[in-house]
Amino acid sequence: MTKTRHKIFSLYQLISNIKDTKQILIQEFRNVFRDRGVVIIFIIASLVYPILYCSIYKNEVLVDVPVAVVDASHSKQSAELLRHIDATRDIKITYGFSSMDEARKAFDARKVHGIIYIPADFNKNIASGKQATVSIYCDMSSFLYYRSLLMASNYCTLDLSKQIQVERLNVAGVTGEAAEIIASPIPYDDVTLYNGGMGFASFLMPVLLILFLHQTLFFGIGMLAGTAREENRFHVLVNQSNPHVGIYRIVFGKSLCYFLLYLCISFYTLDVIPRLYNLPHIGNPTDILTLIVPFLFATIFFSMTVSVFVRNRETGMALFLFFSLILIFLSGISWPQANIHGFWRAFSWIFPATHGIQAYVKINTMGATIREASFEYISLWIQTGVYFLTATWAYYWQMHKSRRKAELLKTA
Amino acid sequence: MPNKTIAGIVATLKRELSRMKSRPLYFLATVGVMAFCYLFFLTFFSPGQPTAMPTGVVDLDHSSISRKFIRNLNATQQSKVVMYLNSHTEARKEMQKGNIYAFVEIKPGFAADVLSNRRPKMTFYVNDAYLIAGSLLYKDITYMSALTSASMQQQVLQAKGVSQSQIMGQIQPVTLDTHLIGNPWANYGVYLINLLLPGVLQLMVLLMTIFPIGVELKERTSREWLRSADNSMAVALIGKLLPYTIIFTIVGIIGNVLLYQFMHYPAQAGIGWMFLATFIYVLAYQAIGIFIIGLLPVLRDGVAMAALYGLFAFTFAGFTFPIEHMPPATQIFSELFPIRDYFRIYVNQALHGTSISYSCIYYVIMLVFLLLPLPVYNRLKKAAIYLHYPTK
Repeated sequence: MTKTRHKIFSLYQLISNIKDTKQILIQEFRNVFRDRGVVIIFIIASLVYPILYCSIYKNEVLVDVPVAVVDASHSKQSAELLRHIDATRDIKITYGFSSMDEARKAFDARKVHGIIYIPADFNKNIASGKQATVSIYCDMSSFLYYRSLLMASNYCTLDLSKQIQVERLNVAGVTGEAAEIIASPIPYDDVTLYNGGMGFASFLMPVLLILFLHQTLFFGIGMLAGTAREENRFHVLVNQSNPHVGIYRIVFGKSLCYFLLYLCISFYTLDVIPRLYNLPHIGNPTDILTLIVPFLFATIFFSMTVSVFVRNRETGMALFLFFSLILIFLSGISWPQANIHGFWRAFSWIFPATHGIQAYVKINTMGATIREASFEYISLWIQTGVYFLTATWAYYWQMHKSRRKAELLKTA
Repeated sequence: MPNKTIAGIVATLKRELSRMKSRPLYFLATVGVMAFCYLFFLTFFSPGQPTAMPTGVVDLDHSSISRKFIRNLNATQQSKVVMYLNSHTEARKEMQKGNIYAFVEIKPGFAADVLSNRRPKMTFYVNDAYLIAGSLLYKDITYMSALTSASMQQQVLQAKGVSQSQIMGQIQPVTLDTHLIGNPWANYGVYLINLLLPGVLQLMVLLMTIFPIGVELKERTSREWLRSADNSMAVALIGKLLPYTIIFTIVGIIGNVLLYQFMHYPAQAGIGWMFLATFIYVLAYQAIGIFIIGLLPVLRDGVAMAALYGLFAFTFAGFTFPIEHMPPATQIFSELFPIRDYFRIYVNQALHGTSISYSCIYYVIMLVFLLLPLPVYNRLKKAAIYLHYPTK
């Protein structure tokens, strides 16, 4: 008898809990959409940032980087080599100078981003069977200039080398297959996976897309907390208007509001945008969805925890905006994760962005399944659990403070 | 300067200093953030280039030739063989897990094919989703593959009685001699930190120009602020922002010293020009900060604008993806960022060591930004007096 009564009681409680949560959820939706600043961050920034950045980085690679040439050899071979380099996608020879001084001047004036120098003995060395040298001088102000010139000239000199080798062997009476065997006994094949064009946007944008979600959530929740504190008469985060509503319901109800909103935004950011801008998107959508659930919850609870320390609407942004940059490097996509110093790697695991970015790149860009990203996936759930506890604890602390202040006021 | 003006500046300055002491935010957002960034970036990129990146090998031949190749690959600076895998699928899975950034596949019967002149192919795979790791490993593995091929060639030619000097001419008739101007080590720290730190600096300068002014409007203390400056907006601005000019210039110059003296990053044409650039750079961004809060005299909107504009600086400096390879509209847009001029000065003065005549124009352009407070001067003053904008 008591047992059934207990059951009915807990069922009632469950229903009332759900009702409370629903009410908090609706209230939080109102808070979000009533606040112009939050709408700007949550909605406008989330919608506009991906489009802006994708448009800026639309050209994935450098095409026809201008380069100067000093050809002191004036030979048939040098002219042919230069013609080949000019014909590559990466390089365009825009100036021909007779001395290195002139070329250096064009380089200093930033009219060219590299110099190719062919010495006077180039032709003689080739004719006499010695090694000939081509010198390149690369602009290091952007590594993309350097890569373009290096790859194009490397490819063309190797090609010329091969051609000369075969010619020489032919002269020595070795022809056909036998010459090929001597010229390259072990040919090799290179395959660049997942970003075949070595594109800059294909590399960077997946990182930024996850980062946009993480940072807009973080700053938006920070701003909401700041507003709550400014409007609250005790300057604490949680208003103790209804003492019957439990702390778990508050935290869960609020987080559910952000989660539902960001589920839609994630669909736009992670599915529509990559299709629209032709970024890598070979991942299975179900796997991405599986990943995004703990990522969003971890980010939300993390932000709610940190938001306790935000006193004003604007302070969170002023203090932590620079951290977006730090998060890019901590994610281990540009500077490889295996090479990040142990301390910083441990530090990077504090932030849901690190695991979110790693896992998203693996699934979306490299076509991995959630199983290959299991480390990040599990880590995100652990973060969700830990930050849920810290968020409830932080809210409890704030509520306690509010209640105490109210009591103090009463006794006074 | 009349005494009254000086008195106004001193009074405003004193008022601001006491405000700055009242909250930890001011110290954190000026010195704290920059100190953290110095510590972070200088330790993060300390090796200069990533070394010993995990590489896998699918060696189905197990011959002395394949083992020698793997040994040689391991000896290169950038790759480290961490895994021996049994199949292509297994290797691909490890790559997708992110445990290796590249792998080499050597088919069974490889050595036998080499010895019987059947020209077996060696295949390697690099992961370019990680662009830096992929490019560097690509370079290393290509080099080792070419070297392995060359050493085979050398054996054949030696057996045929060709002299050593002719062998080199035969193996590699044309060599490439690469000079990296200003950064011969291809050091990523030199490449990135030189712009990342000024990037963070401008972000903080913007925010800490907009915040101290905007917070007066928000907390409705702006009249008091103006009164301390004897009702002159110019005096009020100078008195308020002077502490930040001094702090950020010192912090910026400490950054210059850290990079060019302590880390010995290239500063070919002397460090003095970079000091000057840093000082004007701070002023230019303060002027932009005044412009933004003058245009939108609401703290929230000002901060949001600063965030939008300030974060674009990293893109429009033009050191990661060169500006002239972006769509034309964005190229014009990039001129609105003083960091673009700072980047050009840095390239000319520090990296390439050219004559100052190439850079003068960029110092002048940065100075032009100092005119920006003029068009919003009255608007800001009215906002400070009438407080007719929303506070949140």
